[in-house]
Amino acid sequence: MAVAKLEQLSKSVVQGPSLATGAIPTQDWMDVPVVFKPGNFAYQAKVEKVEYLNSQKDLNFPNAREWSPENDDWKLPEDWKEIILHGLKERLDKFRSLKIFMDCCVRCGACADKCHFFLGTGDPKNMPVMRAELLRSIYRNDFTLAGKLMGKMAGAREMTVGVLKEWFMYSYQCTECRRCSVFCPYGIDTAEVTMMLRELLHLVGVGINWILEPASNSNRTGNHMGLQPHTFKDNVDFLAEDVENLTGVKINHSFNRKGAEVLFITPSADVFAEPGLYTAMGYLALFEEIGLDYTWSTYASEGGNFGLFTNNELMKKLNGKMYAEAKRLGVKYIIGGECGHMWRVVHQYMDTMNGPADFLEVPKSSITGTVFNNAASTKMVHISEFTADLIRHNKIKLDPSRNSHVKATFHDSCNPARAMGLLDEPRYILDHVLDNWVEMPENTIREQTFCCGSGTGLNTDEIMELRMRAGLPRANAVKHVIDKYGVNTLSCVCAIDRATLTSLMNYWNPGCDVCGVSELVGNALVMKGENRQELTEGLRTLV
Amino acid sequence: MGIHLTEGKVQVMELDEAFRWYREKIIDKWVGYALETYESSSFFKNEKDKFANPVGGNTREAFSRLYTKLTLGADPGEFVAPLEQVMRIRAIQAFRPSQAVGPIHAIKHITREILEKNKETRHLVVQLYDFEFAVDLAVLAAFDLYMQCREQLYQVRIKEIKTGSFILTDSRCPSNLLKTDALEPITVLQDI
Ligand code: SF4
Ligand code: SF4
Repeated sequence: MAVAKLEQLSKSVVQGPSLATGAIPTQDWMDVPVVFKPGNFAYQAKVEKVEYLNSQKDLNFPNAREWSPENDDWKLPEDWKEIILHGLKERLDKFRSLKIFMDCCVRCGACADKCHFFLGTGDPKNMPVMRAELLRSIYRNDFTLAGKLMGKMAGAREMTVGVLKEWFMYSYQCTECRRCSVFCPYGIDTAEVTMMLRELLHLVGVGINWILEPASNSNRTGNHMGLQPHTFKDNVDFLAEDVENLTGVKINHSFNRKGAEVLFITPSADVFAEPGLYTAMGYLALFEEIGLDYTWSTYASEGGNFGLFTNNELMKKLNGKMYAEAKRLGVKYIIGGECGHMWRVVHQYMDTMNGPADFLEVPKSSITGTVFNNAASTKMVHISEFTADLIRHNKIKLDPSRNSHVKATFHDSCNPARAMGLLDEPRYILDHVLDNWVEMPENTIREQTFCCGSGTGLNTDEIMELRMRAGLPRANAVKHVIDKYGVNTLSCVCAIDRATLTSLMNYWNPGCDVCGVSELVGNALVMKGENRQELTEGLRTLV
Repeated sequence: MGIHLTEGKVQVMELDEAFRWYREKIIDKWVGYALETYESSSFFKNEKDKFANPVGGNTREAFSRLYTKLTLGADPGEFVAPLEQVMRIRAIQAFRPSQAVGPIHAIKHITREILEKNKETRHLVVQLYDFEFAVDLAVLAAFDLYMQCREQLYQVRIKEIKTGSFILTDSRCPSNLLKTDALEPITVLQDI
């Protein structure tokens, strides 16, 4: 009696179609088609953005058209299949890593449960090994003997429109965070498989607007928001005025100044959007205090590089812009602000794409004399490295009690943590600007950090639920330190995180603020000649 | 005090004893049931570390807390905290509302089934009215929480658009949301 009822309940509850995949999980994964519904995909790129990018030198974004993932017909070019297979062949020849990643997975499953998308959705195709399998199955079919002979038995399958749609669904449910790669005994980096999937999709005109619009803006005016030089300048001026109002110290900053020692580049979100604004105020205060000879640029007005989320040509172009500006201004080296993927590109790809930057000097802090040999090739120093070095040499005065309103924890952003190994510098800074702060559980920080859930251009509002699912592992760890230690602030060194974690906290842990580490530095900084107001909320205080 | 055994004869249990005696068994089945609503459920069921497995860990923790409240006749207001722990998660996952709330309901059937199966407890089934009524109240509260979470999700979305923390594209007019997100057709539970 009761058993029969429970079975009926199960039928309705367990076997209902999953909205993520539209799938009833009774078939082999290869046979389960994807279903696009409002909320489970990011909007397609607008025609004019694709056309613009395609018109640019060295860029290839063909097949601009009106289309929608929800329609059956994606209006692919007639020879789409040849284009994809040819594109795959080209990439297998060009990127040795791709060939290795395709060949050497032993399906041990160590990565399977390490992805935040899998942990938040329970969808098997979000296991990193399966995500890679989406491409590997095609690779096997067309590029390996076993696949040609044995087909499905060897895990091979033919490239079809259904497979292409699956690629689109799941390459945009991966934030290229590389957490899975930390656990793979062979170091297979599924993020790079996702990058290839996205590149291949662009060859037939399949891409999302949230990535292509900022990328085209960046190519056109120098920043994601498409803001022109005077607007960028006005905003920085405005922030400098704010710092002066709060601290009584006049900020002397400059733009596009030839002959400055340092070019400073940060994500434009720091200059335009809360809560990044306060981080930018922190930079301004710090540079003023140490008297750094530096300049902002209204052309290289963006650290972020959405090219990384599209294809290597666009990534190269947007990265090249920063170095072109450094060369034009004749600076000695670059300091980069709190950004995520800018650092991934600089640290992992810049050298082979645009480097080495021989026209610049190996960064040497004029304040402490420290030579940053770790940046000997890219000539770009992270603001946290630079600040930690100042603290280490006692070059700035900090009063942690000025941050007494803050009870912080620290989120390792995926790219600085896993792509450049920046783990201890931000922590060293926090130790000096805060009376105390707490770590989240061990398996959620440092190399094992969980992604904010909205990286790689997935921070668009139409997929808010997906973002909340993917951000669950991160939010869950934050909740733990809120409950246990009364944490009220989540600090980080990434501009995308400052935006995405804000929404993540607003859903999962309302009341927890998000801030940049440089904001906390600015709060604690004791400035020469200051005439500071009572700043109960640091640089956020309204006066 | 568990089962009172006297010389080859099973002494019957009181209801509160039965709830204590079968606690782990009922909770295990209940958690298992809820986690089977996910496509790949075995990891969610097996991994015990709450940080490595937030869905499984929170579901288990929430259901254990809720079980205590339901079986001790706690004030229904006390159901909210443990229910929220699990509904906040299910509200943003790929479930229909009924699917999101359904597992809360399952404890009724699981408890009945277990008590009915055993000689020592079979007679208790008729005494389950208060407990089952408490479960009904929990299901209603779960539905409220589900709706609250959904509303909060939309607020987060609107706030993001309004505050411009994401002004990367020009498609940020809130009215665009109405255009593209047509309401899901209401699906009726046919099989229950
Ligand atoms: S790179 Fe990150 S998001 Fe992508 S599969 Fe690996 S763990 Fe998941
Ligand atoms: S951990 Fe590496 S080898 Fe093992 S299944 Fe994942 S990708 Fe393959």
